[in-house]
Amino acid sequence: MKSLAPIIRTVLTILLALLVGGIIMQLSGKDALNAYGVLLNSAFGNPRAIANTLLTATPLIFTGLATLIAFRAGIFNVGVEGSLYVGAFAAAWVGFTFTGLPALPLIGLCFSAGALVGGLWGLIPGYLKARLRVDEIVTTIMLNYVAILFTDYLVTGPFFVPGMANAMSAQVAEQAQLPRLVERSQLNASFILALVSVIVVAWLLRRTTLGYEVKTIGSNPLFARWMGMPVARTILLVMFISGLLGGLAGAGQVLGVHYRFVSGFSRGLGFDGIVVALLGRNSPLGALLAALFLGALRNGSSTMEMFTQIPRDLIDIVIALVIFFVAVEISFGWLKRRTIAAATPEAEQKGQADGLA
Amino acid sequence: MSFLELRGIRKTYPGVLANDDISLHVEAGEIHGLVGENGAGKSTLMKLLYGMEQPDAGEIRLNGKRVMIANPQDAIRLGIGMVHQHFQLVPSLTVAENIALGAEPRYGPFLNRFRLRRQVQALSEQFGLQVDPNALVSDLPVGLQQRVEILKMLYRNARLLILDEPSAVLTPQEVESLFGVLRRLVAGGCTAIFITHKLYEIMALCTRATVLRRGRVVGTVQTVDTTPSEIARLMVGHEVEAPVITEAPADGRRRPRLEVRNLQITSGSRRATQIDLTVFGGEILGIAGVEGNGQQELVEALIGVADGVSGEVLLDGESITRVPTRTRRERGLALIPEDRQTEGLSKAMAIWENLSAGDYYQQAQGLGVLPLGQMRAMAAGLLNRFDIRATDERVGVGTLSGGNAQKVVIARELMRDPSVLVAVQPTRGLDIGAAGFVQEQLLRLRGAGVGVLLISADLDELLALSDRIAVLFNGRIVAQFPRAAATREQIGLAMAGKTMSENIL
Repeated sequence: MKSLAPIIRTVLTILLALLVGGIIMQLSGKDALNAYGVLLNSAFGNPRAIANTLLTATPLIFTGLATLIAFRAGIFNVGVEGSLYVGAFAAAWVGFTFTGLPALPLIGLCFSAGALVGGLWGLIPGYLKARLRVDEIVTTIMLNYVAILFTDYLVTGPFFVPGMANAMSAQVAEQAQLPRLVERSQLNASFILALVSVIVVAWLLRRTTLGYEVKTIGSNPLFARWMGMPVARTILLVMFISGLLGGLAGAGQVLGVHYRFVSGFSRGLGFDGIVVALLGRNSPLGALLAALFLGALRNGSSTMEMFTQIPRDLIDIVIALVIFFVAVEISFGWLKRRTIAAATPEAEQKGQADGLA
Repeated sequence: MSFLELRGIRKTYPGVLANDDISLHVEAGEIHGLVGENGAGKSTLMKLLYGMEQPDAGEIRLNGKRVMIANPQDAIRLGIGMVHQHFQLVPSLTVAENIALGAEPRYGPFLNRFRLRRQVQALSEQFGLQVDPNALVSDLPVGLQQRVEILKMLYRNARLLILDEPSAVLTPQEVESLFGVLRRLVAGGCTAIFITHKLYEIMALCTRATVLRRGRVVGTVQTVDTTPSEIARLMVGHEVEAPVITEAPADGRRRPRLEVRNLQITSGSRRATQIDLTVFGGEILGIAGVEGNGQQELVEALIGVADGVSGEVLLDGESITRVPTRTRRERGLALIPEDRQTEGLSKAMAIWENLSAGDYYQQAQGLGVLPLGQMRAMAAGLLNRFDIRATDERVGVGTLSGGNAQKVVIARELMRDPSVLVAVQPTRGLDIGAAGFVQEQLLRLRGAGVGVLLISADLDELLALSDRIAVLFNGRIVAQFPRAAATREQIGLAMAGKTMSENIL
């Protein structure tokens, strides 16, 4: 590949975050080395632990891909969470409505419904941005609340199931429940779909006209427009795909883990996609690795909490530190590039003009 | 003893030797020219003198005393003032407020407007720089804004003025008036360093000129003892030949390739423009005008990225007015935009990706799959054909020099054999070699029957290349001249909006 430098920098960044996290643990009177040991063991120590790490990573892979494809096009889509909710509900609805269908068609239909509804949900801010130039950050954040509260309304109102302690839909048909991959773990077939999605997104971005347009618009939208690229169409398409991947994340959780739609079940899986995309440096393969890393931390920390006196909140601090260092490192790299560019004679005049204008 | 003396100045940036052992004397009361191509080290040298950068070696002496200039404040304290090419004025403040900004006379915490006005008035009388201290800067023409910049420096008691390409934004008449101002300032006890790459300005204004090439001083000349071609030879290092132009084809063979009829752009807050023009095959129609008089609006309307356009644009007789950008390009419209870094290229992408930006979608196979290998091979071919200097086609465009980056734009636009080429400031910021290449390409297209619309603020370039010159002022074509009848003075008057009926064809 191009260069190992970004990977090395990411690993160093993670190590730095773990180091600072360890110092915080030590300062609060815990044995950091022991904690990390338990964490590592809980995440990878046995086949079941590994399976649970992959399980935790599965929705993050989807939401990471959903976020990065938008980022690549220069669209700051914070609305993956919303797509995830509406997609999850759509998948659940198909799953508990068309109970007469055999397994494969029903599962296919559930995922298609989740993907389609998630994608359409992404089209709303996409349309507002592409046609009316409405800032997507605001609209996607707002639409998240709409999606969360609307699906909550659906399962407490029209699709209310009496006798349930929490707001949740009816269970999906048994044949719609995804097959498990490992004994005594909820790891299920949606993980495989996530891996396929990584390949498909990577292929889309690298090999197709859409990928080329995404790259051009993401790196210089003005240039794309002056070259006559279909900028609005590309934004719509990207937002649809981004929403679609968010919908798949939701559908996967419904069909593989909860077997029903549970109000508020995600707790930020869509937002975690931003972390995954950032940490994975907007590359599909990077996002996969980042999702696995985050999955390991999350999965490991819940077990660690049981065996040590260390609350999992401390691992959330480590995750926050990772984000912090990655963000610092990215902006630092950007700064450094600028300084070098400004120092070369070719950029001299241009840089001066920029600086003084 | 010289007024200003630079001894052995050296400055390196990572990978670049910007100034190498530069020594320079400026005598009190002279206007000293500093010439050189882009990247020759002029700007770096002046940044060192103004304290914006520190030299790695060498010393600066003022009146024989060695001085350390750590920042622009130090420079101002020493009486060194810089007039930047891009003015540093606050448009919403008055002339007097701008002049005193940061050094205002005060009554306790309040601005002493009375004293401020008196000081500014006294200053402009002392140096003969007439300007209304109460006028808003935003209401002033560019020439007067520059005067405010100069006054700003005089207000801070600058006695050595550095002017960085001050004529770039002015009409020929404004340039003359600037020269007058500078001569008065020098007579009044100031000294000036005048940076330019226009040779006739050096000849007209400066007593002596120092020529830089690749970071080194290649010579200091007395303007009375030299010729413009001698200075050009020093700048470039070899003889410079002017482009050779053959006569345009006879009228009978000419057909209109681009016609613009009553084009009006009324977009948002931007100036409405109303433009009529025709570009014939086999000719270069030059558009002269001070920047900001509708050039950008015209280009945006032609390429199809402007909102609120009315009127009609015909390409080879067919209307393209309501046709999207992509279709316009497919029908044979090519564009070299003014700002290649933002409008013409995507810096973050590789050369081959930039070269494919116009036709990638036509290369796509089933499912929109791009034949990457084939596209890269094609790009490699263009690298050769257009002499783009890069290790290979995968190099990022952002790392190329201005000349090579412009060649990428030109290669992409010309490989499709356009019927009309719109070129906006195509040689700006290029060294003489690359500029010559660009001009050759324009002339080659002209010879091949392409209609070329050349929009430029550089009168010399327009006069050298155009078959006809039209002048854009305030959003309108106010005058048109055939090349034989075009003079610098007439065009200059039209650029300032002063039309004479006999100029209009």
